[in-house]
Amino acid sequence: MTTQVQSSSGASISITGLLTRGSTQFGLLIILSVLWTVFASLSPGFLSTFNLNSLGRSVAVDVVVGFAQMVVLATGGMNLSVGAIGVCSVMLAGYFLQVLGLPIPLAIAGTLAFGGVLGWLNGIAITKTGVNSFVVTLATASLFSGGMLILSHGVPLNGLPSEIGAFGKATVGPVPALAVVALAIGGLLYILFAHSVLGRQILSVGANSRAAEMSGIPVSRVIVFVHVLSGVLAAAAALMLTARLGAAMPAVAGDDWLLPSFLAPVIGGTSLAGGAASVIGTILGALLVSTIRSGLLILQFASFWLQFFLGVFLLAAILLQRYRSVLSAREQTRQA
Amino acid sequence: MKPVTFLLREQWSGILLAVVLGIVALSIANPTFNTEFNWFVLLRSICVVALAAFSQMIMLGVGQMNLSVGALGGLVAILVGGLMDAWGVPAIPAASIAVLVGGGAGLLNGWLTVRTGINGFVVTLATASAFTGINLGLTRAVPFYHLPADFVAFGNGRIGAFPLLMIVPIIVTALLAIFLNRTVKGRHLLAVGGNSNAAELSGISVSRTIMLAHCLSGLIAAIAGVLAVAQLGSAQPTIGSDWLIISFAAPIIGGASLSGGSVSITGTVVAVVLIGLIQNAMVLLAVDPYWVTFLLGSLILAAVWINRIRTVRMERAQ
Amino acid sequence: MSLALQSITKSFPGVRALNDASLTLVGGEIHALMGENGAGKSTLIKIITGVHRADSGTLKLEDRDLVFSSPRDAIAAGIAVVHQERNLIPHFSVAENILLERLPTRNGLVDFARAHSETRQHLAKVGLNIDPATEVRRLSVAQMQMVEIAKALSHRASVLLLDEPTASLTEAEAETLFRLVRQLREAGTAILFVSHKLEEVLSLCDRVTVLRDGETTLMAAPVVGMTRGNLIEAMIGRSERPVVPRKRGPQLDQPRLQTQALTTSYGHKAVDFTLHRGEILGLYGLVGAGRTELARALLGQGKIRSGQVLVDGAAVRVRSVRDAIKRLRIGYVSEDRKYEGVILDHPIRSNIAITVWDSIARTLGLLTRNDEIALAAPLAVRLEIRAPNLEQRVGNLSGGNQQKVSLAKWLAADVDILIIDEPTVGIDIKAKSYIHELINELADRGMAILLISSDMPEMVAMADRILVMHEFALIDEFVNDRRYETASTRIMDAIHSVTAGSVG
Repeated sequence: MTTQVQSSSGASISITGLLTRGSTQFGLLIILSVLWTVFASLSPGFLSTFNLNSLGRSVAVDVVVGFAQMVVLATGGMNLSVGAIGVCSVMLAGYFLQVLGLPIPLAIAGTLAFGGVLGWLNGIAITKTGVNSFVVTLATASLFSGGMLILSHGVPLNGLPSEIGAFGKATVGPVPALAVVALAIGGLLYILFAHSVLGRQILSVGANSRAAEMSGIPVSRVIVFVHVLSGVLAAAAALMLTARLGAAMPAVAGDDWLLPSFLAPVIGGTSLAGGAASVIGTILGALLVSTIRSGLLILQFASFWLQFFLGVFLLAAILLQRYRSVLSAREQTRQA
Repeated sequence: MKPVTFLLREQWSGILLAVVLGIVALSIANPTFNTEFNWFVLLRSICVVALAAFSQMIMLGVGQMNLSVGALGGLVAILVGGLMDAWGVPAIPAASIAVLVGGGAGLLNGWLTVRTGINGFVVTLATASAFTGINLGLTRAVPFYHLPADFVAFGNGRIGAFPLLMIVPIIVTALLAIFLNRTVKGRHLLAVGGNSNAAELSGISVSRTIMLAHCLSGLIAAIAGVLAVAQLGSAQPTIGSDWLIISFAAPIIGGASLSGGSVSITGTVVAVVLIGLIQNAMVLLAVDPYWVTFLLGSLILAAVWINRIRTVRMERAQ
Repeated sequence: MSLALQSITKSFPGVRALNDASLTLVGGEIHALMGENGAGKSTLIKIITGVHRADSGTLKLEDRDLVFSSPRDAIAAGIAVVHQERNLIPHFSVAENILLERLPTRNGLVDFARAHSETRQHLAKVGLNIDPATEVRRLSVAQMQMVEIAKALSHRASVLLLDEPTASLTEAEAETLFRLVRQLREAGTAILFVSHKLEEVLSLCDRVTVLRDGETTLMAAPVVGMTRGNLIEAMIGRSERPVVPRKRGPQLDQPRLQTQALTTSYGHKAVDFTLHRGEILGLYGLVGAGRTELARALLGQGKIRSGQVLVDGAAVRVRSVRDAIKRLRIGYVSEDRKYEGVILDHPIRSNIAITVWDSIARTLGLLTRNDEIALAAPLAVRLEIRAPNLEQRVGNLSGGNQQKVSLAKWLAADVDILIIDEPTVGIDIKAKSYIHELINELADRGMAILLISSDMPEMVAMADRILVMHEFALIDEFVNDRRYETASTRIMDAIHSVTAGSVG
């Protein structure tokens, strides 16, 4: 009665074919290559070292912000306080480095730990009250940013040790140091999800938390863990942003992170419903968004219209995803 | 049912108590609180907030959410400002056109959500970005200042402490109450939110209902945008940028069910008053305005937690 | 008046639910639709009520070809349905639920007074005496079901579909329903009565159609003169299965799991039983008797109000499902195979290894696909799981194979006590026999098994001893002689003696 699903063989090998039938990540790669070719041909400055490095640095931050959301999406929840944790982390890092004058490794560790604590608060609030993550993190976003701004008044700190800004500008060979950091984090997350017990537990909670619980998975502990991880990643992104800017500027994080934090994973194939996470997809998704942003800037598109195009583009990408899953369901039905 | 039992049963009775206590406390703490002018400022500040809250409340009622409430309102704000400033359109036609555009934008949200089957969260996240983008593109971050005198007068006018502006939210509240409680379409909207499957099986078109809800949400957000311009006396491109959290906070604190199908107009209004009171208190007591943000977050958490305890207790009693 | 479905085929991703199935309803007849879970009954009903569209085949109402694109079309055509699951709007009143799509209006506004008075009439017809303004979420499950029945009847439809309508009703309430249904028959309505209760079908219905694996095996056969055996054969393809022999008996000197005067937050009252090593203890009961809840209480879900649970003679407090599995070595094969027993979107290997991930992990909690395969492959072979490879998504497997995966993970966990809840619902005959043989083999090897089932033949064939549960209390316990007549009679007597004379 039931049949096994074959991936479509014999389908025409065309760009549209690959776009609609290959994996999401592969389709993204195709779109990216096309865009890069287009932008490079329209403006040679696109491929200049300067532009690529600048692109690489901003993508690095966006990728880690995307990771912070991705790990929570994997459990079927969401973290709307990613930006708020970012703001708090920026301020704390600035405080540690400039006001307290702590050695850099200590400041970094302390900031990451703080991000984890904020994430832990999220996780506890969600699991102990049973309220869904949307509302809880909506509330804690206000709580965290409000609280931090009360303490620090959001004043940017410019007197950070010069190594911070230097790291932001550094490159490892042709690749910006920040991008290497982002890729390293990506590598660790990939190992987590593909090759560890915890990763499997996270994905099963996202796919079906009832079944996971009845199989002995400690669901509450897993949810708290992803929120802690999300907080740490948000703090990491904040540190990277600080390095890139060379100063602690809380205003740049915050609400600005909300859309990108969803964009990258969702375009990259991480489902809002949970149960699946794609590290590579998130990286490609962030790359896609930054490519468009950078390309439009280089082409001197009125920068005010950038935001509009991003929104339209997100919509198009999601529509494409949706179309593909409908196609795939239709094919599975045909073969039944 | 005795009045006391009725009050205790309602979700928002606690918030009403907080409002009353707050008013008493503030009157004692700062004598300028109870002046006519301050009440005018307070009441005027909640006009826009109330409408933004209603815009989201309708979406919660149908079991969806609209992340573009602020962006849509902001776009309509600069639209009405642009029509009056750059094109010289008189106030009432400009406002009408702008509000209709808002309704159209809402309809777009609804159409996209229903037609593509994509989660309303993601759709409105994307359209919010697009609307803000159009906003920026049209204004290049420059506000529209030259508005017709009668429009500005309406925004500033008052009778004693009662702002003229408040006529609009009062009318909208009344219409919304009639719509959700006494009309067939309104009941169907809440039915879809309560159990969309059951509604569909009974023959209600869930997709059309969701589109209607989005359209109404857009209309109300648009009205909020126009009022914001009247209140400020100029069309600032930043209008709507801080509406998102408040648009969720007020209905939720007011007792809206997160799964959909149950909202409280009274509760939302009381919550809006509470938020306005807190903001007013911050100014009067010269407290750091960031406290508002902080308190807002705490209130939401407290509200949902209490709601949850209530639900659990009711389930246990069955 | 007639409703005829001919050669209906309907497929979903990965499964063909209906394959050339047919059904003809005639006015003035009560027509039973029978079949095991997964046979295609729900899909057929969803096609009649406009929720789904058939891939091929025709639907004719009074010889007119019809196509329903939504439930609204079906309602407009005069078809009313009471579904198996509740479909009510929780915050709305009874009146609003019943009249939902046709609320009476006056001057454009809803006329609640008229809605309430109309509703009172509809409620009176089903003998439900409640205030129409009551919020539906405050009603009992049985009352909710009666509200839905009232709603369906209020449509004065020419075709009425009832899907397992007596599932949550007492005998008295069911009698009221049957009386109503007979009245409707006299009035010329065509009635489709879906039920798995053979006695109900034999006593109430005029004709019966049986579905098996998406196909019609018995078409509009007159019920007069039919026996249980005929019906069962049509549903499962052979007569009641013969007794499956065991090699070893239970070791009654070694109690594995015991409860003493157990009272739970679910409503159980003073439940006492002992499960021994190597024993298959059957727990029989009707839907809603409290059996699954008992299992959940034993697994640490739900609170234990008083009494004790003992494992291997020692009193224990089960802290969580994880605790039950890891510390007390109790496993639970869920009755909700699809949404609790397995994770449909994940591959076979991880579904099997899920219970022991932490045990097979290397240092730092790392785990590779091959580690899972090394664990899962032997089990897949042993249980004869039919799939091209272990990467296959479990959702694409047949029901029988899904259940084997669900069982495999407990074998992987090496549990001593296994609670199996409705193991063969909706599974093809071959897989069913296989699973029964497997359960016997596990018991022979010393596993203590609590078998929860509402399938009488299965219970009688498998259990060493049988417990009967009704309304959250154990009402009988006896040693099974494995003779269908004696065992089934004893069970039914026990239930009837408790429910006789109860008022609805």
